[in-house]
Amino acid sequence: MMGTVTRQRIAAALALAVLAGAAVTFPLVFSSPATTNYGVYALIFVTAVSAWNVFSGFSGYISLGQAVFFGSGAYAVGIAARDWHVSGVAVFGLLPLGAAVGAAIAVPFGLVALRVRRHTFIVITIAVFFIFQLMAYNLSSFTGGSVGVSAPFLPWTATTFNERFYYIALACAVVMIVIAAGVRRSRFGLQLRAIRDDEDRARGLGVHAMRVKLAAFALSAAVTGLVGGVWFLYLTQVQPPSGFDPLFDLSVVLMAFFGGVGTISGPVLGALIIEPAQLYLTATYTNGYISEIMLGALFLAVVLFMPRGIIPTAGEWITRLRTRGRPAVPAAAAAAAPQSAGKAAAGDTA
Amino acid sequence: MARQVYQAVVDGILVGGVYALMAVGLTLIFGVLDIINIAQGVLVILGAYLSYVLSVRLHIDLFVGLAITVPAMFVIGVVLQWAFIRRLRGRERTAMTLLVTYAAALIIEGSLYEAFGPDYKQLSAPYVTSSVHVLGFYLPYIYLYGFALAVVIIAGIYALLYRTRFGRSVRATTQDETAARLIGIDTSRVATLTFGIGVAVTAVGGMMFGATNSFNPNSGYDLISRLLAIIILGGLGSIGGALAASVFMLTLESVVDIWSPQWAIAVFYAALVVVLVVRPTGFFGRAPARAQ
Amino acid sequence: MRSDLPWLSRNAAAVGAIAVASVTALAACSSSSTSSSSAGSSSSPSSKAPITIGASLSLTGDFSADGQAFQRGYQLWAKDVNSSGGLLGRTVQLKILNDNSSPTQVQTNYQTLFASDHVALAFGPFSSLLTTPSASVAARYGYALVEGAGGAPAVFSSPANMSAHNVFDVSLPITDEMIPFVNWVASLPPSERPATAAYPMAEDPFADPPVQLAQAKLQALGVKTVYSKIFPEEESSYKPAADQVAATGAQAVLLGSTDVPTVAAFMQAFAQQHYNPKMFICAAGPDQGAAFVSVVGKQNATGMMVPNGWYPGYANPDSQKMVQAYVAQYGGNPSDVNADVAEAYSVGQVMAQAVKATGGTDNAKIISYLHSGVTLSTVQGPVKFNELGMNDSAAAFVFQWQKDTTFRQVLPASAPGSVPIINPKPGWAS
Repeated sequence: MMGTVTRQRIAAALALAVLAGAAVTFPLVFSSPATTNYGVYALIFVTAVSAWNVFSGFSGYISLGQAVFFGSGAYAVGIAARDWHVSGVAVFGLLPLGAAVGAAIAVPFGLVALRVRRHTFIVITIAVFFIFQLMAYNLSSFTGGSVGVSAPFLPWTATTFNERFYYIALACAVVMIVIAAGVRRSRFGLQLRAIRDDEDRARGLGVHAMRVKLAAFALSAAVTGLVGGVWFLYLTQVQPPSGFDPLFDLSVVLMAFFGGVGTISGPVLGALIIEPAQLYLTATYTNGYISEIMLGALFLAVVLFMPRGIIPTAGEWITRLRTRGRPAVPAAAAAAAPQSAGKAAAGDTA
Repeated sequence: MARQVYQAVVDGILVGGVYALMAVGLTLIFGVLDIINIAQGVLVILGAYLSYVLSVRLHIDLFVGLAITVPAMFVIGVVLQWAFIRRLRGRERTAMTLLVTYAAALIIEGSLYEAFGPDYKQLSAPYVTSSVHVLGFYLPYIYLYGFALAVVIIAGIYALLYRTRFGRSVRATTQDETAARLIGIDTSRVATLTFGIGVAVTAVGGMMFGATNSFNPNSGYDLISRLLAIIILGGLGSIGGALAASVFMLTLESVVDIWSPQWAIAVFYAALVVVLVVRPTGFFGRAPARAQ
Repeated sequence: MRSDLPWLSRNAAAVGAIAVASVTALAACSSSSTSSSSAGSSSSPSSKAPITIGASLSLTGDFSADGQAFQRGYQLWAKDVNSSGGLLGRTVQLKILNDNSSPTQVQTNYQTLFASDHVALAFGPFSSLLTTPSASVAARYGYALVEGAGGAPAVFSSPANMSAHNVFDVSLPITDEMIPFVNWVASLPPSERPATAAYPMAEDPFADPPVQLAQAKLQALGVKTVYSKIFPEEESSYKPAADQVAATGAQAVLLGSTDVPTVAAFMQAFAQQHYNPKMFICAAGPDQGAAFVSVVGKQNATGMMVPNGWYPGYANPDSQKMVQAYVAQYGGNPSDVNADVAEAYSVGQVMAQAVKATGGTDNAKIISYLHSGVTLSTVQGPVKFNELGMNDSAAAFVFQWQKDTTFRQVLPASAPGSVPIINPKPGWAS
């Protein structure tokens, strides 16, 4: 038994090392900015989806308002650069401001929204999202109105520009994944999952539900705000419909579901597949509307063959393959745990 | 000033009828199947295009054409549910249905582009621009007919739910699916038919939207968030609540429009947040029978 | 917690790998290569190789109606150039990618066109919203971005353009476009001027500035403002706002619209309210040819006005030829041609003249040529760029739908080609 675990551990370490090596050397191997551009957007979404997952995936509160933080982070960096006359590389020093603004918005937002559950929570996040989009439009002396805010011009060549943003986005993604893995292992993560499985029971067992949810919400918001700032500097411009984009909200959620909600690697995989695929299909299949139909077909295929998302379903397949009918280790452990945790363990494979 | 407010209230009620017709299908599906149908906006647009084809190519009146578009949309709904949504089970079901319905929205939108191109269309009929003068207000016939239709359809769905065997099965499934199955209700059939009816009703909403707005295949996206807000405010699964919430939303918006159109939608969403925090089940929602 | 063991191991490995990764990332970052593909370096191996021109257009999404009209304009231009022997003896090849009206996608598309497809030249996307991010990509790659639909002031004052000066808008700067209408009102005897005017505006960088300027000038003429409000672009319904305007009974309506649906919704509500302003002018919408008339109906279109730099009846030989070619290819009649087509076509013409003058596709030379103060000719009339790339020499006209659904130039009344204006606007179809 121990032997299997050790071997698994070594295999996992090797796999991760290969992945990390690939991520780091990617722009060196594929140096064309046309390629690294996909990398930048993919990593921005890896970060945003993982951030969403740490709150929504773990706690079961589906937020369709993450663009509130993404857009606010983008605007915070843009407005600060404009009003404080920050130019050149110094604008990157403003990124923590994006994170701070994201977290600062999440606290009052969460205090109101987290009092309700399920669908009502979803709709409140949508409502707050629209209020923010309207504020970006209407407070025009501050936000630039429908014109938006432009980023300072960075006088780098295309290759350098993309490469630097790639590594900034990679750093954000890595930090977020580490945070997600850390939260998952911690008592905090356990409390979040207890809330997801049965909030009233968790409360009964002494979990300070509001405090725990609020902390996760603010953490998720801070990272989303940070990466919103990165996105803004990379795109060089933010306007109300692009910063506060309802499709961003939807994309983040879809990517997480696609890969496997509540897991660590699912959101990463979902973002890595969907964001580049969407950009690539739209750019490639320009004639007719095949790109949209193909993207829709891709989603349907995943739902048909992997009805619980890629990672959880693949996890089931592997377990079934390895045990060949014998009871699997996680299942055995789960059987000993309370029944709700059994469901969670099955959903949290990988 | 008082006149302006009256006018705004009249507008809110009339346009609210149109939104109710678009929202009824969504709330029905939501209540029975417990899923968010992201494709609702695109289905509205699909309904509008179906009416467009009948009216422009075959010169069939918009309201008469519903006799064809409603059954057609029913079939589309049944196929969607039977082929994809039926297969989803377990805790990820709500999540994965979001994915399925979004995929359906993409495929429908792409197909509409392929068939009709991106130029805007609008449904036309003599009663679309003409109106009747009542108490100093011009009431357009199209909105009056639409509002009447909304009331008839809502009454019809109530009759279906409370006066038929099928309705009893639906209500039982809404309250507790497992228990419904235990007492011998074919919940899968109930789900499929409900989804079909929900999409079929949307054909009417589509016709009304297409007659009062110009549309292209992309127009559905702006609708979905408003429709979701309406059905949550009305109370999930509450058909009458959808009408009440539509009228409330549009009236509030058009009254605020008098002073500041810019902030009208923000006022609505702020009101929504306040109402839901005080009363999470909306105007007419029940406390959830299911445990969390 | 035994079941968490595989997790522990994976996370330990993850932390290790991440540490390695960050160090490598830093190292790679500091020693990053600075090689870059620069614009125009894709000079042809043989002089007979085609000249490739890249553009991103919104073929789907919010701007798809305009984006597709623009695509027709680009394609029509390329076809005309190639049938008359190409540019510098080389054929022109267009590569148009769809950006789904999204800034992220537009940026991806231009990077693909520049770094992967190595196009020689770049044409702009549709809308001011997408032009700014595209221009900063073009600036990094050293391309000139010649465009016809990014006229909002923010496009020209963006930091990227202030630094690279690479954006050139061949169309009319928008702020002054209502001025011919204002001048016409001023020329009327006071008794015939509208006593009151309403200014509903969609929240858009394109739609508001001309209407706001016109409002200030008309107020100075003594036209009383009875309604002036900005409404969000995605209203749940335009009916309440339109009904408010109708209730004021304003004699003139200046609508800050961006597209056909806004105009159509106001027209429908006005008809329902039995309200018919004497003058009705819209920032955009009625210039969309058949796409406009088919939505609002032939009779209702009559009398509707729109400011622009071009219309299908423009008595410029190039323009006439283009309109004929359009009708030959897509059918319909001349009034059906969307102004977007002419804007796109002019982009091609400006680029063609720059290529001929500089003797090649070197973008640096093209940028300095276009900034040299030279006057170029297009189907929309003369084009001359100022230091920010705005077209200084464009003249604004006002066009009106007249009987038998013909789209005619009416203002300035003294300009060649202008026909008498229909005033007041006839009533709505009942």
